[in-house]
Amino acid sequence: MMTTGITAEDLAHISRSSEDIRAELGVDPVSVRAISDPAIYELEREKIFRKTWLKVATSWELPNVGDYKVKELPVADASVLIVRGKDGQIRAFHNVCTHRGNKVVPTTGFETFGRSRANVVTCRFHGWVFSTDGPLRSVPMKEKFGKLDTACLGLREIHCDIWEGFVFINFDAEPAQSLTEYLGDFGKLFGGYPYAESTTAFRYSTVLNCNWKVAHYAFSEGYHVPTIHAGSLPGFKGVDHTDFKLMGPHASSTIYGAGMDTAPSTLAFASMLSTTERHRPRPDQLPPAINPERRADFQFELPNLFPNFIIHLASGCGYPGMSFFTHQFWPLDHGRTLWEGINYFRPAQTAAEQVAQQHVNALHRNAWLEDTATMEDTFTGIMSGSIDEMQLMDQEFLIRHAARTLDTFLAA
Amino acid sequence: MTHPILPAPFADLAPLAAHWARPSENERSEIRWSASPAEFKALYEAMMPRLDDILRLLSDHPASGMPEEVHDLFLLACAFAEASPHHELYGGSSAVPYSFDARRFVRTDGDAAL
Repeated sequence: MMTTGITAEDLAHISRSSEDIRAELGVDPVSVRAISDPAIYELEREKIFRKTWLKVATSWELPNVGDYKVKELPVADASVLIVRGKDGQIRAFHNVCTHRGNKVVPTTGFETFGRSRANVVTCRFHGWVFSTDGPLRSVPMKEKFGKLDTACLGLREIHCDIWEGFVFINFDAEPAQSLTEYLGDFGKLFGGYPYAESTTAFRYSTVLNCNWKVAHYAFSEGYHVPTIHAGSLPGFKGVDHTDFKLMGPHASSTIYGAGMDTAPSTLAFASMLSTTERHRPRPDQLPPAINPERRADFQFELPNLFPNFIIHLASGCGYPGMSFFTHQFWPLDHGRTLWEGINYFRPAQTAAEQVAQQHVNALHRNAWLEDTATMEDTFTGIMSGSIDEMQLMDQEFLIRHAARTLDTFLAA
Repeated sequence: MTHPILPAPFADLAPLAAHWARPSENERSEIRWSASPAEFKALYEAMMPRLDDILRLLSDHPASGMPEEVHDLFLLACAFAEASPHHELYGGSSAVPYSFDARRFVRTDGDAAL
């Protein structure tokens, strides 16, 4: 199963105690200016979102040659076409016709999926045809152009690479680091899990009236769990948020927990999943440095893949049957954020497994409704100017680390 | 749905299926959002004692391509799977207490009919 050959010892250098975190990141309150100041958002666009590797798709969303996804990314003023070419390779292009700039693939909403059976995409404006691997293939009335260098008029490619089936792009003309280099120890820590087997996805999104970091930070700590989730996690028996790890711009930590007083229906649905080989808890599939002692109360890993992606790897150990879930936070402007949350399961074989997954998904979606309830209020509070700083405890170190990383990128 | 067809042992659940069973999450959510505590309770009291039997029957059928006479029971079970927390955890409230407006959460995968 494990293909990386990485051991827990190989990653011993990323591990941090609370004392280490205090010594390394400090204990002082952190300024909220990076959240409140629109000028900083403009800097983020230039120095972070146009420079770092950003997850935009998964390879299993595009299983067949010709499958494509268009992602609207206002943070980079871009519409991005991610497409699996005839050669099977996934590439990313600006979804822009090289004729006069029209969108090649028309879009609805922030994500548009489709399939090009003929391995071409055609601009609806004047009928320019591009291969799914980029080159301009044909131009109507080509002979009527006095000058037209079709060899140079392919779709404008964006750097694209894949890690563990997660498709990343980088808008920089010459990225300072490859994706592997950028992920660094994060790629080693999370590598080797069979993510691509979990092709059943329940996807949600919403537009939040808050800065993207308010949403990101709300999902970056376990301190809130006993209070904000009192409704959906009743009889909650406590959470142990520990195993802190720092990896360059990225960081991670682990949520262990004694669970909760499970409701009768949840018990029935959970046992439906936990008794099947496909959906049962699989601590053995966790990469070696995640839950290295294989504690039975492991719930999921809580990381930050800078700047805006979270993979909660659970391997069926937390929410019943759930393989992993992800969050992503896309700025739309300084005070508006597109949040995307996705629950991933291995495909249900029976109708009963499918019903059980609906239940687990609903419970988790409801917990997300509790999480998102705080975000607009928090942003309004910060924008009131009444507080200058956030007070951060040990279990909020991912926020402290992300804020520091942000400052480093903005100062570069 | 107007005339649900349920397997014989569960034929008495047809009125509940008529009210709650729908093929998409968005449709089921609309029904749930307008449900009263009494409606959640009635659904729960009818379904919970028979949940194991229902799941056992549904275990014999594939997730896709199940026969028509099982499909309506499956959709009723899906509605119950999403509704049970409202009775068990939320005191019969149709909204998750202290939560974001569920109507602003969008299923972004097209919410394919089951």
